Amino acid sequence: MSEGRFCGNCDGHNLYEYPMKMFCSKRYAKNKDPIVDTLGCCDDWEPVTQECYCVREALKQQKSKDSGRRD
Amino acid sequence: MRRDDYLQKPVKHIKISGALTVDQLMQQFRNSGSFGAGRLAKACDVYEKMVRDEECTVFLALSGAVVPAGMRAVIADLVRSRLVDVIVCTGATMVHDAIEALGGHHYKGSWVVDDEELFKYHIFRIYDIFVPEEDYVRIDYQLAEMYREIAAKRKGERLSSDEFAWELGKRLKDPNSILRAAYEAQVPIFIPAVRDSEFGFIHWLHASQENQKDVLVLDAFKEVPRICEICSKSPRNGMIVIGGGVPRNTVQSAAIASKTGMDYAVVVTMDRPETGGLSGSTLKETVSWGKVKGEADKVMVIGDALIVFPLIVASVVERLGSGFARVPYLRRLQADGGGSK
Repeated sequence: MSEGRFCGNCDGHNLYEYPMKMFCSKRYAKNKDPIVDTLGCCDDWEPVTQECYCVREALKQQKSKDSGRRD
Repeated sequence: MRRDDYLQKPVKHIKISGALTVDQLMQQFRNSGSFGAGRLAKACDVYEKMVRDEECTVFLALSGAVVPAGMRAVIADLVRSRLVDVIVCTGATMVHDAIEALGGHHYKGSWVVDDEELFKYHIFRIYDIFVPEEDYVRIDYQLAEMYREIAAKRKGERLSSDEFAWELGKRLKDPNSILRAAYEAQVPIFIPAVRDSEFGFIHWLHASQENQKDVLVLDAFKEVPRICEICSKSPRNGMIVIGGGVPRNTVQSAAIASKTGMDYAVVVTMDRPETGGLSGSTLKETVSWGKVKGEADKVMVIGDALIVFPLIVASVVERLGSGFARVPYLRRLQADGGGSK
């Protein structure tokens, strides 16, 4: 996992709003707000069993947002 | 039979002269009376007889991805116009309905596609239809909240799948929703394999919440006497089957258990009988079980339900005309104090 640890590459991630928001069933079970940022992370992180584009696309979108701000 | 008996009805050739309505085309198919065209024309006749028979209860058994492919409004309209009295379906059928009712969509796609790439984009494929994962996840979240609300309201009562379907329909506002239409028209929707769908995993999510006081409980057996009672109280019963599987078996089993047997049957399927599976079993075979009466008006149409079923519906609706109003037999019975539901 080259990108590091994020909600978007945690094994429990479910897509809520591609690519920036995830639904976390672990947080839902704990009665916490289950909608999390793809680029967030927590101690319950587990490596994803099959890779997807969520983190890559979220990082790309984040980067373009940041560069947009600088402009 | 004598030789002449075999040669009574010459094939009349299909004639397309100018613009034809759907029913006019079906009449041409009936004139041919051959192959799929003949079966399709007969299916229209059998369905028309079912709905014109004032003592017949019409069952619609649904399996396969009929909603993603675009038949949702057709079915909801049949429910609203009382041209079906009972729906029996897979859990997935109503999950797909709920996805659209809660703002999700199914998208036109292709079967020639990189499925590994679809996985990476969290897009699911149903042959040439695409559905984004977030549409499932959003209904997981929203329906899990509905489950809690239903459980709290029903105070630990064990619900049958048809009660569950009405509870969902009550909470969905989309007028094109089958669940909503069935709730408004008080048409039962039985979902015998309810857990074999997203509904099951939503229950897991719902029940996983810490300190969850109100866990929804469904009772798989509670609906058995309910559907059998519908069959046994109806002087005649008819079924339209799209696909087969559990929904077809549930309707047919209710017909056996209530010792009635179907009086009318239309099955639309692509499955074959040689494997011994129920979905491809012929209506002749069902007679051996008593599921369908030997003398029943019955036909099996081998074809894509997305093509066949809308043609049947369009033809029959055209024949019935805009002034046709049907009050289901069981509704009249109930009004007379003879029904239990």
